[in-house]
Amino acid sequence: MSNPDGESLRVHSATKRFGSLVALNRISTEFLPGQIHAVLGENGAGKSTLMNLLAGFLTADGGEILLGKTPIPQGDPIACRKLGIEMIHQHFMLVPAFTVEENLALNRLPNLRAPLRISDLIQTSLTAARGLDWNVSKTSRAGDLPVGAQQKLEILKALGGDARVLIFDEPTAVLAPDEVDELFSVLRRLRDGGAIVILIAHKLSEVFAVADHVTVLRRGEFIGTSPIKEISSEKLARWMVGEFPAAQEILLGELGPPVATADKISIHGDRGQLAIRDISFQIKAGEIVGFGGVEGNGQDELSEALAGLRPANGSLTLPADCHRIGYIPQDRQADGLALGLSIEENLLIKGVERPDLVRRGWLQLGAIHRWAAALVEKFAVKTESPRSLVGSLSGGNQQKVVVARELDANPELLVVVNPTRGLDIRSTQFVHDSIRQAAKSGTAVALFSTDLDELQALASSTFFLSRGELVTGNSAETYLGAGA
Amino acid sequence: MIRTLLTAVGLIIVLALTLACFGVAVGPGLRLLTEGAFGDKFAIARTLVKATPLLLTALGMTVAWKTGVYNIGGEGQYIVGAVLAAAVGKLLLPTPPGPIWTVLMLIAAITGGAGYATLAGWLYVRRGVEIVISTILLNFIAIQILGWAVEGPLKERAGQVPQTDSIPDSAMLAKFDRQMDLHAGVVLALVAAVAVYLLMYRTRIGFLMRVTGDNRRAARANQIPADRLQVVAMAISGGLCGLAGGVQYLGIVGRLGTTFPEQWGFLGIPVALLGGLHPLGVIPAAVYFGALFAGSDQLSRFTPAGTSLVYVIQAVAVLGFVAMSTVKWRRRKSDGRAESNS
Repeated sequence: MSNPDGESLRVHSATKRFGSLVALNRISTEFLPGQIHAVLGENGAGKSTLMNLLAGFLTADGGEILLGKTPIPQGDPIACRKLGIEMIHQHFMLVPAFTVEENLALNRLPNLRAPLRISDLIQTSLTAARGLDWNVSKTSRAGDLPVGAQQKLEILKALGGDARVLIFDEPTAVLAPDEVDELFSVLRRLRDGGAIVILIAHKLSEVFAVADHVTVLRRGEFIGTSPIKEISSEKLARWMVGEFPAAQEILLGELGPPVATADKISIHGDRGQLAIRDISFQIKAGEIVGFGGVEGNGQDELSEALAGLRPANGSLTLPADCHRIGYIPQDRQADGLALGLSIEENLLIKGVERPDLVRRGWLQLGAIHRWAAALVEKFAVKTESPRSLVGSLSGGNQQKVVVARELDANPELLVVVNPTRGLDIRSTQFVHDSIRQAAKSGTAVALFSTDLDELQALASSTFFLSRGELVTGNSAETYLGAGA
Repeated sequence: MIRTLLTAVGLIIVLALTLACFGVAVGPGLRLLTEGAFGDKFAIARTLVKATPLLLTALGMTVAWKTGVYNIGGEGQYIVGAVLAAAVGKLLLPTPPGPIWTVLMLIAAITGGAGYATLAGWLYVRRGVEIVISTILLNFIAIQILGWAVEGPLKERAGQVPQTDSIPDSAMLAKFDRQMDLHAGVVLALVAAVAVYLLMYRTRIGFLMRVTGDNRRAARANQIPADRLQVVAMAISGGLCGLAGGVQYLGIVGRLGTTFPEQWGFLGIPVALLGGLHPLGVIPAAVYFGALFAGSDQLSRFTPAGTSLVYVIQAVAVLGFVAMSTVKWRRRKSDGRAESNS
């Protein structure tokens, strides 16, 4: 992890397109040795594309990338690694069934025919571990290690060669808060050793905690770069999200009694980590309450708890009948639809609760056909027949099927997660109108969205989630969770 | 409709090619097969008798697979069903034999198969044991149960042979004609096919089972009790396979011995796949394979090709199904990608 020549990594006017989408538009910046350089941006800003260019996983359509004076071998990650550019991926690239030792050796295999001497191959990694005061149990299975330790293993893997550039792709996303602090101290030690440390982040607080320099991207464009000491969090937030959309007056009808009440609830995530801590709120009939914030701050867990799919500690009061909760999940193909069944059958997933469609357990096919045809027409689903496979529809029309199904059940509570992601403007408008309509007719709506414009357009009040806690307010800074 | 026709034509072409590979002249070979399977009423009876257990086990596979539980244990459920039927037969000995025996023994067969399959279903939803693994292993255990039963508690009273006593004729499934093997089981199988169709396509529970089979996550997100439905599907699936065992026992063999298992439980899988996992589609598929079995007996008398021909055809059917699913899966995947890029 030395960089004796003090060479910097320079990106000059790099452009990358995917089809018609310009992921990076003429980006230029310089990463200096002995610095932690954060690359900041929202989802879809182009951070990951840039990192994949630097590490050789992609080839730029224009511009050049120089390490010192040599252009890096673009599109050849193995050659890039030989140059000393190492990437620590967000999703660990470990073989769970292998031991720590075997995983460390994996990156350094000379070639297939050479005799395998694991202990030689991992010497550098082990030296690095000693330098960082890490105790490594070489014979543990990687899959048995806790997440923090797996990340350490990823880092040691990267330090197994002559690492001059270390790229961390959103390394804190999977870590608990105390693990984050430990990671940051490691980043500082690597920096002090003279390496170029690049940190991809989307949380302001982390950037201020550890970075020396920051570069901001937004929708593929270079926005600005600055030493961290010379920039305020307000300015950085503005760089990230642009102008914060003005709050619109949301006209509310008569609000009814509370439909969902959370009183000091905590929710655990899939890994057993505490994803939501001790929060309280209320959603009344006829109201749209927004939950915003950067992804990964407990939105998934909270939305599933509200939909009645995940247990919560504390007191969470929901409609007594679970079929009166509508749920429009974020991933319609994974959670919303049965793609091998027809449009009609997908509508029927909630429709089976209607007494006019099912009598004594028997489907009333005639009534179902008429009902489905009417829904398809009402929600303007573009299809030849309600009996076509739902998988044959475009994304927007698939989403309309989900929305139609959930709203037709006339829910007391509607939980909606990023309902317009990937939709065109017309479909977006349609989905928004449908949600407003539902609220007007007395449904309590919990709207989870990472899209600020969507929250401003629909929600009468908005909470922001930051590390599992609720923050109120109405500024870019609240949104980004700088206060946490 | 067009697809069914294409499948039929494809199967005949495959059959012709297979015959050629066995070194049999295609024209005469096909003629011998057809004669053996449909040549006269005896041939037709032979075909239907072979198709009956195939239809029942294939229906069992259809119910389970459509609900997303890949039951490979039809063979074990078939055996356990027959063993439980035999045990009930032994208990009934003090009473005069008659149709009531038949009914009770068939109920026992269904219960045995259902219970055996439920065990695997329960292990899956409660303990996460993969259905494929558990049902395969339970097949071997079933064979041991059969061996133990015919050596021990169910052994015939008179002799030394490890087999059960014969069921009195009056307790066997009714036959339509003394000269033929054809028995009332074929009617039972057809009724079962219609019943499974109604269950899966006309009732609430069957519909929810199909949703669960297509996308378990979506089922969960919509408050559908996927675990419970998958256990129910295993029970129904096992019940049908157990019934197949009971029907074979009470319709054909009349006594259980170690040679009782004839792979009908396994053969239900290719039949179900060929039938498109549809309860009515498996009827022609079962008849097709039944005809191949009946016809290949005839063929083996005159040519070097015999029953092994049937297994080749089966393999082709399974491979064809796998290929079709892969094509569908790829298409679905590339659709998804095109959309996420837009």
